[in-house]
Order: sequence, then structure tokens, then C-alpha cells
Amino acid sequence: MDAALIALGLSLKVALWATVIDLVLGVGFGYLLARGRFPGRDVLDAVLTLPMVMPPTVLGYYLLVLIGRNGPIGHWLQQHFGINLIFTWQGAVIAAAVVAFPLVLKGARSAFEAVDVQLEQAAHVLGVSPLGVFLRVSLPLAWRGVLAGTLLAFARSMGEFGATLMVAGSIPGKTQTLSIAVYEAVQAGQDDTANLLVMITSLTCVIVLVAANRLVPNRAQGAA
Amino acid sequence: MTIRLNIRKALRSGTRNFQLDAQFESASKRVVIYGASGAGKSQMLKAIAGLSRPDSGVIELDGIKVFDSSAGIDVPARKRRVGYLFQDYALFPHLNVRQNIGFGLQRGWFNPAPRGEPEAVRYWLEAFGLEEVAHQRPAELSGGQRQRVALARALVAEPGALLLDEPFAALDPALRVRMRAELDTLQRRLDIPMLMITHDPDDAATFGGHVLTMADGRVAGEGSNG
Amino acid sequence: MKRIAAVLLICAAGAASAAEITVSAAASLSNAFREAAAAFEAAHPGDRVLLNFAASDALVAQIAKGAPVDVFASADQESMDRARPHLAPGSRRDFASNRLVVAVPFGSKLDLRTLTDLRQPAVQRLTTGNPASVPVGRYTKGALEKVALWGELEPKFVFGTNVRQSLDYIARGEVEAGLVYQTDVASQAEKVRTAMVVPTTTPITYPLAVIKNGPNPAGGRAFAEFILSPGGQSILARFGFGKP
Repeated sequence: MDAALIALGLSLKVALWATVIDLVLGVGFGYLLARGRFPGRDVLDAVLTLPMVMPPTVLGYYLLVLIGRNGPIGHWLQQHFGINLIFTWQGAVIAAAVVAFPLVLKGARSAFEAVDVQLEQAAHVLGVSPLGVFLRVSLPLAWRGVLAGTLLAFARSMGEFGATLMVAGSIPGKTQTLSIAVYEAVQAGQDDTANLLVMITSLTCVIVLVAANRLVPNRAQGAA
Repeated sequence: MTIRLNIRKALRSGTRNFQLDAQFESASKRVVIYGASGAGKSQMLKAIAGLSRPDSGVIELDGIKVFDSSAGIDVPARKRRVGYLFQDYALFPHLNVRQNIGFGLQRGWFNPAPRGEPEAVRYWLEAFGLEEVAHQRPAELSGGQRQRVALARALVAEPGALLLDEPFAALDPALRVRMRAELDTLQRRLDIPMLMITHDPDDAATFGGHVLTMADGRVAGEGSNG
Repeated sequence: MKRIAAVLLICAAGAASAAEITVSAAASLSNAFREAAAAFEAAHPGDRVLLNFAASDALVAQIAKGAPVDVFASADQESMDRARPHLAPGSRRDFASNRLVVAVPFGSKLDLRTLTDLRQPAVQRLTTGNPASVPVGRYTKGALEKVALWGELEPKFVFGTNVRQSLDYIARGEVEAGLVYQTDVASQAEKVRTAMVVPTTTPITYPLAVIKNGPNPAGGRAFAEFILSPGGQSILARFGFGKP
């Protein structure tokens, strides 16, 4: 039971950090793609959405190649900062963040596209800077869509397995998240442990979904 | 305010491509650009406000060049100090009336508080009789109230000129007559330069100190209306 | 209606073709068994060998849950013991042996001559299979416990879900060293090399057996016999396996 709670704690930690990263990057790129008019915009959108259509193990492989000790980014990190991301919970965060990113991106882009451009124009004419317009007009009007995408990303991060296994390995207490722990238990023929872990994971997901439904009320329930 | 304008821009209206090619000069405080829908009036007004970029040309307001393609000058909208009234008002739906009016007075990253208002906002709330609805959201207001809020919002920061995009198109005929009279009185009282675009000949009759006709992207002809 | 039934019957027949033999084998047998399967198919036209590689315990878990397997080849006796209720009586035979080695990335400058050398601070990370589910992990744990080093070294270990994953970690340089089979080092000879051979508490012998109630018992027996025959044995020898 202790080991299960440790795995749960780790899953929550990894999912929380991954979601925060995705929120910042997703909102930024979502706004850029919604409002920007530049050549290659659609290509950029496709590239940023790729992790959603690629198998997680393939993503994990690419990440391993990039941030592994001998990879271009990993080598640079090792040389200049002495940081190695493989087999660490930070590596697990990166894997989960990459996999779940398109969920926030899509939610944010749709939400910003639904904001009337004229409102932003009105704010501009009234003398507010572009960042001010974003913070005072665009974001407040888009927050529901952004939040919906973010909650999906959180749930996806909680369940991440393939890419995480590749990049972070399966180290109990360090990188063995709930999904990986279930896998290991099944591999070792420990059905009781597997059942307990699955129940904990399911319960956590149900709680998150119920909270999400409360936070983001249905349109029918009240005025926007 | 004197305005000098000489711009060109490629435009598309539905499936039609046409060229905006506008030149005019005016020292009048009441300019009306009159033309049918799709003539390119909105685009021209947006260009003056800095919301749309012409392909080439010059725009001068009160002797200051706000746009000059050959010199690479393009003053951003927020620095041009003009007030803009959108056709459907573009009121911020997530802010109440006093926050909408006071929006331009706050230059930072935060919106005005929902309660309490600066002196300037209170002045306009009283001037337009909006004190009762100051706490309400735009969705709860009538058409006439919304227009007044939009006007107040544009005027509160004391802009150098007021640009109006078909200001009465969204109102029913009876209201239109009343609001037209109100705006007429207001402009005379404030003595603020005004440039209006419209397809309604009654607007031209009421407001045109200097009336220009626009068709197919070209501003042609001049007229005077006293 | 009759036509649909006929098509469905043909499809069903194709799915349970009598000429298919399903073999679940330990991950360390990947290269050797692929070649053995090809040789078997060449000698038995019409037969197809389907190979399923994973850690031995994972394969046992699948068989225990009713996976349709004809032959099971594992990397240690313990996992075969776990599969005992599912084995065709009398079919269990040892067919190969292996050695446990400490392997390092090819360009490694570390000097590792005894197991105690693994204690050096320069060795930050080690890898082997997870002792709970992978035979090589069990051999490693046994060998290190014997010299009273397991407790001290365990925190340095990153466990792979099968021996080939551990080998990959070494090949990529993500760990300084790892304990894998001699045959695994041979399979990635350009990226990994052996630093030293590790004495294990029990000899590393690989057993195989035919699975009771498998879909193709006759085919399973034929394949098992092939592995035990001189032809199969020479293939295993070429990949570095020893005699059983």
C-alpha cells in the first residue's frame, strides 16, 4: 500500500508539472496560431500537434535520442549544467508534457479563435498594449476553452506510460508512476498489487473528472 | 482636425477583389464618407485608426504622419489617440458598464475595478444617464444604452478625433432619430472632430460638414452641407 | 447467406491454421531464435513460426492467463517452475547455457575488473533486469548478494523491463555499466563490450517446454526437437550460447 501511495504521489507530481508547462506553452502558441498571419502557420500547427497522433513509444524514442546523454540536447545539458534528464522525474515531466501538449494547444487555439477580433481591436484603439489586450480581453474571454484543454492534458499526463517508460525508466520512488507500476506488477505476476494500483488510478481519475465538471459549468446552467 | 489621406490597399469583398484607392483632404470638423455597403468604407476607417495597414500611401492627422509607407512609418493604433465606434459597438462582454467606459484610462495589465469609478467615468455616466446601469453587463442593456456606453468609452480618454463606423445601423428607426440628435448635440458641445462612414443619407444630411462619396473603393467627389 | 458463412469459415480456418507454431521466448533469445525459426521454416515448408519475445516472467503471466502458446523457452529455471502447471508432461529440457557479464559502453574508460570495482563513484548508474520479473535481474541479485554488495549497489540500479532494454541503456551510454548476458553483448558488439564475467550462484541454463493445450502441439514438439538437434544447437552456438 505504501508503494502504491508513493507511485500515486509521483504520478500527481509529474502530471501537475507537465500540465503547468503545457498551459504556458499551449496558451502562448495557441494565441499565436489563432491570430498570427505568417507563412508556414499551418505547418507549425501540424508539427505542434504531431505528438497527439504519434504512438507514445515513438515519441519516447525521439525524446530519448534528443535528451539522452549522447543526444544533441542531452549532451549540451550535461556539458553546461551537469544535468541529465534520463531516469529522473524531470525527464518523466518532459515526456508527459510533450505527449499532452497538443490537448492544451488545440483547446487554446479554438478558444482564442472564438474571441471576436473586434474586441481586441477596440482595446488597441483605447491605448492598451498588445500584452495588455491579451491579458485583459483575449484570455478572460477564452479561459473556459483553455481550462477544458488543460484538464484533458492533466488526465493524459496522469495516464502517460510509453514515452515515460522510455525516457524515465521504471525506478520505484523516483520515476515509477502509477501506470508503469501497474505494468510492472502484471509483468511480475503480482495480480493483487496490480488490482490495487488500478483501483487507485481509477478513483483519482474519477475525482479529477468530477471536479472538472463542477469547475466548467455547462452552457445551459447560467449566463456566460 | 485636419486629415490628409492618400492610400491604396488590395481588398476582397466576398468573391470580389477590388482596390481601395482613396485620396482626400479635409479641415472640417464633421466629415462624412457616404457610400453603399461593400464600398470599402470600413477598411478606410480602420486604416485611419491604425487597425488595418494600407499597401501604400500616407495618412496625416493634424499635420502628423501616422502612416507613410515610403518612410516606413506606421504608428500603432494605441498611439494615434483617436476614438473609434464600431458598428456593433464591440463592448467587452465580461466587464460591466463602468469598467467598459474606464477601460482606456487603465493602461496596464489589469482591468478597472468593478465598483467605484474615477472622476472621468462618473462624468460620462451622468452625462449619458447610465448611473442606474453602471454595474450591469452589456448583454443586459438596450441598443441605445449600448451605443452610449460605446461612445463614452471612446470619449473618456479625450481623443483628438472620433471615428464612427455606421453608428446607427444597429438601431431601429425611431431610436435612430433620437440618437442622431443626441450625437449631433454632443459633437457641437464638445467641438470634437468627427469622421463618420455611413450608407444612410439621413446621417449625411445631419452630420456632413464635408461629405464625400465612396464607391468601389474610390473616394470621389466632394460636397458641402453647411 | 451461405456465401457469407463460407467466407467466415475460411477466415476462421486461416486464423487457426494448423501450420502455425507460436513460440514465447526470453528476450535474450531474440537474435538466435529468429534465425532458428527461419531455418526451421526452410526445412518444414508450409509451417510458420510466430515469435513472441519478452521477459520470461511476463511470458509466464501470459501463458497462465490462457495465451495460445505452443513452446515456451525461458532464461532461468525459476520462471519455468512457475509455468509448471501448463507444461506438457515430459517435455521440459535444458537447451542452452549463458554467462552473466558486466558490460560497458564501447568507449568506456572505466577499469572494472572485480565486482567491488562497481562501487567506484565514477560508476553512477548501473542497469540490469528487474529481479521481480526478469531472470537476468535474479542472477545479478544472487551474484551480488553472494559478495555482500547488493545492498550497497541497489540504489545505483535502473531496472529494465527485459534484458534487451538494459542492453539498450548501456549502448546509449545512459548508464556506466550493466549486468547482462554474454550473448547480449555479442548482439550489439559495436556499441557494447564486456568488462568482466560474473560468477553466478547457479549456472545459467535455459529450459524449454511444450505447452499443454497449445493450439499446435505437434508443431510445438517439432520446433522443440529442432532446437535440441545439432542444427538448432549450432545456431545457438553461433550467437554465443553454451551447451545446456
